[in-house]
Amino acid sequence: MPPQVQQFVDTLNAALPLEGYLVVGAIMFAIGAWGALIRRNAVVVFMCIELMINAVNLSLVSFADYLPDAGGFGAGYAVLVIAVAAAEVAVGLAIVLAVYRSRKTVNVDEVNLLKG
Amino acid sequence: MVIAFVFLASMTLICSLGVVLSRSIVHSALFMSGAFLGIAGFYVMLNAPALAAFQVLIYVGAVTVVILFGIMFTQKPQARHFRTIISKQLWPGFFVTAGVGAFLAYIVTIQDWSGSEPGNGMRSVGQLGETLLGVNGAPEIFGLLFEVASVLLLVAVIAAIVVSRRKTGEGIDRGVEE
Repeated sequence: MPPQVQQFVDTLNAALPLEGYLVVGAIMFAIGAWGALIRRNAVVVFMCIELMINAVNLSLVSFADYLPDAGGFGAGYAVLVIAVAAAEVAVGLAIVLAVYRSRKTVNVDEVNLLKG
Repeated sequence: MVIAFVFLASMTLICSLGVVLSRSIVHSALFMSGAFLGIAGFYVMLNAPALAAFQVLIYVGAVTVVILFGIMFTQKPQARHFRTIISKQLWPGFFVTAGVGAFLAYIVTIQDWSGSEPGNGMRSVGQLGETLLGVNGAPEIFGLLFEVASVLLLVAVIAAIVVSRRKTGEGIDRGVEE
């Protein structure tokens, strides 16, 4: 195998730096925040919040894998975050259903009364 | 590694953009499960295969199905125009969140990560279980967090039932007829 090809293959097989995962997590968090700000449908707002939670989880797990002093405990925190996010989805969708029953809409721009 | 990373990163980010920008809510939900699958692939790359299995089971399986049920219950005629799904904050929101994303990416890039090597994570499921219970060298706080998470799940399930159930004595199809 010629040396250039070997070098290219080595580059492809090399371990990635930590920044790669963190930047992906940051961009995904920003996309989720954007969606949570601009979308009108409450269900889509929930999906975007899930995206943000997943981005943070990705950062946690990559820190746990890369930092020597982390001891890999970030995966444990990630499991707890997944449990809390599941609870949040259950309660949030129940609230959306209750709002839909009383107001006939899930548009967050139209749901503007705390009582009524 | 690089090929897998580029593939997973583009899949995750494109699916995330699809969630935000697609007109159909069902397409948003399917894009969301695609983004979750990409994250599961990242977990495999990061030496956390058990977490990847959790991700596929809980997010791609359960959360997507629950959200699809939510969409079914609140279904409306499809939005024809892009404007109707977007609130007035489209461009202000874009600039604010682009600033946040650029700032976060800048912060993590200028940081000196020398000395960090992949492979410190725990590959085995048994180690993850011991960590979650706070035994065998793991911080003991994990035991407390485990209990708190289980109580939180119980409370959340009860709260979901209480919030979403129909009031008694108001007809079984109160939500549909009105």
